[in-house]
Amino acid sequence: MWSRIAFVARRAWNNLRELFWTHFLTAVAMTMTLFVFGAFMLLQENLQNLLKGWGDQIQINAYLEKNLDTAEVQNLWQRIRSLAEVQEVRYISSAQAWKDFQGALGAQSGVLEGLPKDVLPASFEITIKPAFRDSPLVAGLAARLKKEKGITVVEYPQEWVQRLSLVVLAVRWAKWILGGALFMVTFFIVGSAVKLALLARKDEIEMMQLFGASKQLIQAPFVVEGMTQGIVGGLLSILCLWLLFQSLREVIPSGVGLVGPLAQFEFLDLRSAGVILAIGLFLGGAGSLFSLQRFIKTWRS
Amino acid sequence: MIQLLHVSKRYPPNLQALTDICLKIHQGEFVFITGPSGAGKTTLLKLLFRGEEPSEGEILLNGQNVNRLNSRGVARLRRGIGLVFQEFKLLPRLTALENVALAAEVVGTSKRESCIRAYHLLRELGLKEKCDAKPLMLSGGEQQRVAIARALVNNPLLVLADEPTGNLDAQVSDETMRLFLRIREHGTTIMIASHDGSLIQRYGTRVVSLQAGCLAADLHRVKKQEGAR
Repeated sequence: MWSRIAFVARRAWNNLRELFWTHFLTAVAMTMTLFVFGAFMLLQENLQNLLKGWGDQIQINAYLEKNLDTAEVQNLWQRIRSLAEVQEVRYISSAQAWKDFQGALGAQSGVLEGLPKDVLPASFEITIKPAFRDSPLVAGLAARLKKEKGITVVEYPQEWVQRLSLVVLAVRWAKWILGGALFMVTFFIVGSAVKLALLARKDEIEMMQLFGASKQLIQAPFVVEGMTQGIVGGLLSILCLWLLFQSLREVIPSGVGLVGPLAQFEFLDLRSAGVILAIGLFLGGAGSLFSLQRFIKTWRS
Repeated sequence: MIQLLHVSKRYPPNLQALTDICLKIHQGEFVFITGPSGAGKTTLLKLLFRGEEPSEGEILLNGQNVNRLNSRGVARLRRGIGLVFQEFKLLPRLTALENVALAAEVVGTSKRESCIRAYHLLRELGLKEKCDAKPLMLSGGEQQRVAIARALVNNPLLVLADEPTGNLDAQVSDETMRLFLRIREHGTTIMIASHDGSLIQRYGTRVVSLQAGCLAADLHRVKKQEGAR
């Protein structure tokens, strides 16, 4: 058993060394494919984080009619609080709204002078439970709130959430469509590299078959070569992504517009890095096996 | 024991290489397969190590039906057979020792053990000094001896040699034949495809003659090989 493993390792190593440039270029192709896939993965993960950050802040503002008395406000508060989607309901009185508005204007608060202090309506700030933060659910809740007696206007940042959800969806699809196409190309590049290695070793393989070497023993070194290329390609792509990520981090300051405060950009986690390596490993191994099967079949016939 | 029962081989579209061959070869026999070019000698040898499959008939090797083996079975079968070719088929990148050792390594022998066995065999065949030489640095006779060492490294019960002296001069051919006889003394069955009449005359104890794919004669000769002495 060990002697066979050692034999396979020795042959794979010799093949990698002797056809170094072929294998190197294949690993580079693999790196580029996995880099593109990884970049989409990185983008998707960070957009999702951003969306989650926004989602955490999703709240519906329900503005109340001016003439509601305390009991009616209390009743309404209880009805809203009892809704399944609602996590928290905060009542903002007209006076509190005025105070908050003044605070937000800061030095320019003087412009409010002369206005009646009850000009701003009282409202409820409704925080939604995380499980109900999907766009259609939020829209549904807002529609239901609008029908409540005593509520005049309902506002929530629906448009932005919907747009960002669409972007995340587009990135996810692009990742698989573009990634899939590149995987196919890489698959055949790996196959071609194995074909070259096979051609270079045709006599040796023929002799091994005649000596009684098993099919697995003949094929294993080529599969190991493919998987090595996959691992190398995967590691290189993660390294390139990390370098790109670091340089972008330096270029984009941490507080730009909506992005900065809402989401901390993060590099791929271990799971995602593992996925990239696993895809590399699979592409390398499967590409080699596919080529081996086809080539040996043609060769025999 | 090898048994060929009504074996025929056709190559598409319409080439009849062997027709209804019946043969029984006992362990330790020294058999020449002879006949003109195209008579089916090589095809017959190929059928024995499943390099080809017969179109009809059955081939039994120690009771095992060769035709019915799966790929794993074929690999196992070949581990018990040593093959020698006219063009030697040594791997030019490897040294003589590595060429011989490779045949042992691929059947699961450790590298160390394979090299020891290869070294002993090469020494026995008078190639001790040539272990590190690559095939291109060896003469035809030396290359053929390396090929024979490679065929013997897994202690086969059967050696199949296809025109092993085809590329060698008369003296080296004689040496090669004597080597085969020595191998046979250990109980190994030797089957040699050759159309070299003088060698067959001197060394053949059993001569199977093929003509256009048919068994023309199967001669058992009592005479021992003077040439070997």
